[in-house]
Amino acid sequence: MPPMNSLSGMPSQPLHDDIDNTWNYLQDGITKIMTNLQEGIDLSTYMGIYTAVHNFCTSQKAVGFNQNANISTSAHRGAHLLGEDLYKKLTEYLSRHLEELYIQSKAHTDEALLAFYIREWHRYTVAAKYIHHLFRYLNRHWVKREMDEGKKNIHDVYTLHLVRWREVLFERVSGKVMDAVLKLVEKQRNGETIEHSQIKQVVDSFVSLGLDETDSSKTTLDVYRYHFERPFLEATRKFYQNESKQFVAENSVVEYMKKAEARLLEEAERVDVYLHPDIATALKKACNEVLISEHSAILRDEFQVLLDNDREEDMARMYSLLFRISDGLEPLRSKFEAHVRKAGLAAVAKVAADADKLEPKVYVDALLEIHTQYQGLVKRAFNDEAEFTRSLDNACREFVNRNEVCKSGSNKSPELLAKYTDVLLRKSGTGVEESELEKTLVQIMTVFKYIEDKDVFQKFYSRMLARRLVHSNSSSDDAETSMISKLKEACGFEYTNKLQRMFQDMQISKDLNTGFKEHIQTLGIKGLDSSYSILGTGFWPLTPPGTTFNPPEEISADNDRFSRFYRNKHEGRKLTWLWQLCKGEVKANYIKNAKMPYTFQVSVYQMAVLLLFNEKDKNTYEEIASTTQLNSESLDPSLGILVKAKVLLLKPDGEKIGPGATFSLNYDFKNKKFRVNLNVGMKSETKQEEAETNKTIEEDRKLLLQSAIVRIMKARKRMKHQQLVSETINQIRQRFVPKVADIKKCIEILLDKEYLERLDDDDLGYLA
Amino acid sequence: MCIRNRSFPRVIHKPSPIHQKKSKSTALAQNAIAHLASKSTSSPTPKMSEKTVSKVTLESNDNVRLQIDRAVAERSMLIKNLMEDLGDDAVADSAIPIPNVNEQVLRKVIEWCEKHKGDPVQSAEEENDNRKKTTEIDEWDQKFMQVDQELLFEIILAANYLDIKALLDVGCKTVANMIKGKSPEEIRKTFNITNDFTAEEEEQIRRENEWAEDR
Repeated sequence: MPPMNSLSGMPSQPLHDDIDNTWNYLQDGITKIMTNLQEGIDLSTYMGIYTAVHNFCTSQKAVGFNQNANISTSAHRGAHLLGEDLYKKLTEYLSRHLEELYIQSKAHTDEALLAFYIREWHRYTVAAKYIHHLFRYLNRHWVKREMDEGKKNIHDVYTLHLVRWREVLFERVSGKVMDAVLKLVEKQRNGETIEHSQIKQVVDSFVSLGLDETDSSKTTLDVYRYHFERPFLEATRKFYQNESKQFVAENSVVEYMKKAEARLLEEAERVDVYLHPDIATALKKACNEVLISEHSAILRDEFQVLLDNDREEDMARMYSLLFRISDGLEPLRSKFEAHVRKAGLAAVAKVAADADKLEPKVYVDALLEIHTQYQGLVKRAFNDEAEFTRSLDNACREFVNRNEVCKSGSNKSPELLAKYTDVLLRKSGTGVEESELEKTLVQIMTVFKYIEDKDVFQKFYSRMLARRLVHSNSSSDDAETSMISKLKEACGFEYTNKLQRMFQDMQISKDLNTGFKEHIQTLGIKGLDSSYSILGTGFWPLTPPGTTFNPPEEISADNDRFSRFYRNKHEGRKLTWLWQLCKGEVKANYIKNAKMPYTFQVSVYQMAVLLLFNEKDKNTYEEIASTTQLNSESLDPSLGILVKAKVLLLKPDGEKIGPGATFSLNYDFKNKKFRVNLNVGMKSETKQEEAETNKTIEEDRKLLLQSAIVRIMKARKRMKHQQLVSETINQIRQRFVPKVADIKKCIEILLDKEYLERLDDDDLGYLA
Repeated sequence: MCIRNRSFPRVIHKPSPIHQKKSKSTALAQNAIAHLASKSTSSPTPKMSEKTVSKVTLESNDNVRLQIDRAVAERSMLIKNLMEDLGDDAVADSAIPIPNVNEQVLRKVIEWCEKHKGDPVQSAEEENDNRKKTTEIDEWDQKFMQVDQELLFEIILAANYLDIKALLDVGCKTVANMIKGKSPEEIRKTFNITNDFTAEEEEQIRRENEWAEDR
């Protein structure tokens, strides 16, 4: 093989088997690459160096060498590979070169040192890549063999460069380089503009030097972490410790929060711009600790002030700061909860001055306003966080169920809420828009969610629904259905079962009436223009009339026909007439000076009274009472309204309605309207109803408790007294909050009724 | 690996004056290259220098210049690294000297590279596995390697020098197949090796390698 050729100015090739010759030749090229690469390497030199390395490694000497070697060794190792000498020479060369760089580095400090380090690092690594390629033959054979045999201190040529750099230069200058870096960063933190690409390059250099000692194909971040991250974090801590201490001393907490927020953002950006992502978590942690944790006490103290002044933006800022540290928000949440409760109680107290005349709307609006306000705050300032929502819920539950208004009666909240719902759903002059109504119903449900005595709401609601349906003055079926489905969603099927049945009854009655009308027509009878509602006894919160009643002939005739018709359809059903809920219209043809006959809207009781005056113009109280069979509680108010409206004239004048009074028809009756509504409920009537409702609630609760206890015992057979009580509370809680004393009372009742028995050990047993 | 064999270098130092004529397959391959070359110029890959070259010129040690497709040349890791280091500009106007390879061998190597320029680059591990498992050689390569022993060894050396791993493997497999199933004496004859072992040495080696004997 021709050892050399005369191509374009290539330096003469060395004898390929002589290490000194070869090395001298190589060293010239390597030095050129190391120190003067900017002038470029021509093709011949490049190929020359590569070829020299190749030729040395494949030289004849390999054979000669091997012939002297122990045969068993060579058999064990296989062919001998040349290259160790080259590797050694290269190592020595690099050490010398780096030693020189170290001496040069001493002349520089701070930014100049940084610039020097970066410049030399760049030059060195570029050269290392060249040399790595040029020594590829060595890498492929000798180095590979050495590494395959597990030699730890042999690296491929590029890694060798890094290892030498680290050992000869880096270990000695890294401290000073880091000082320069930290000074530069501090400058930037103080607002100066710096050349941050320098730091980025230092970071990259430190990271590149993280060689895994055991496996050169892997890298670790150990070197970087030790030489860069550690001092960097320390300096960061120190810097912010000083800065924040001073800043807090001179500025308000709000100002400090702004500062801290800005600083945290800045540090996060710093990572993106020129640090290694590995530092992100540690740096964030360090900053959080120094900027937030160490000042968390004064931040929290400020929270109440911010709450009192509605400083939403600042609260959001505080939230995002304390969110960053563990357990940072818990104290905020409890403060928030207490604050909302206080605000709720205050709002209620403001409207509760006149508790008896409290408008349901005013009360509910007061509750809603507080909820809306703080829900908004949670959403905007506290990231709509579930924990804060829970605090809000706790606070709302407190002030909805236990406030100034509820002092007069614990049922007041659900009662007022149900009444407000009734106002909304009742036909009224105010005419709320459909969409507006739906929105308000949603708000009602918001409050409903917090009501503890949901059974009380249910009672009042069903009573009022019954009234709306019977008097058919519900504003819209859609709204009613929507409300019921909302309640169903919140409390389940059982809760709204009766309400739904009430609705169904009304529908069935409608069909029934149509059938009845057809029936009458086929009979050819001209009856009353009547309409009947058949209401299931179990579902409607209605009671039979508290009086006897003898309906007038005109009504009873139609009535009987309907009863027969119904009985025909549904055999065996018992009909009870709820006379107190019946109403009708009568036309008054007797009045003088009337261009058109007046129409009176009256209750059936009033109708019975008025129809008596068809016979004669005067009737005594006793006559009326005996004909109608009404007792005085029902009769007196009915007469009262007729007298008050001057349909009837009372004699003697100014006499109380009662025995001895005489009533005569007023022929000079006058009214602006032709339809006169005389069927107006009386205050005393509704008051009484309320009291009644409350009474039934207590009774129903007892039943509910008893049934719950029996259910539990039936399942468990045997239970400790205490356990049974807590289990019962669990089961009942969605409806109302039971008192332990009541539960005990119910257990006693069940023991008496022999559903339960006492056993040893305070145990209770179930008797089938 | 055969080139590491102790007696291997002796063989290849025998001078070999025989020059092969340009084979038919080379001509075909060159047509294919011309075709591909026109295609590759339409979508030049951007490199760090201003010019992107699609052709490079190699110069053998007997001063013959051969212009070939860049993709073909880059089958050699040596040339690939060189272009990466020195940039496209350096090779645009001047030839790359290949001081260890003569024209005849270089042409042969280029022929192989052209045939294989589209081969997928295997990862180091994959390559190791395949090489260990099989001595099978694909049909084209087998034909390609049907040259006199002298040229075969020169190709192997050039592949080693130019750092064309796949070609080196094919060459070594070819030699391995020539050894397979032969007695030491037959092997000596095949490769023209003089037995320079003493009787004792030979006995010792036989003893040490007894485990490997086919029985």
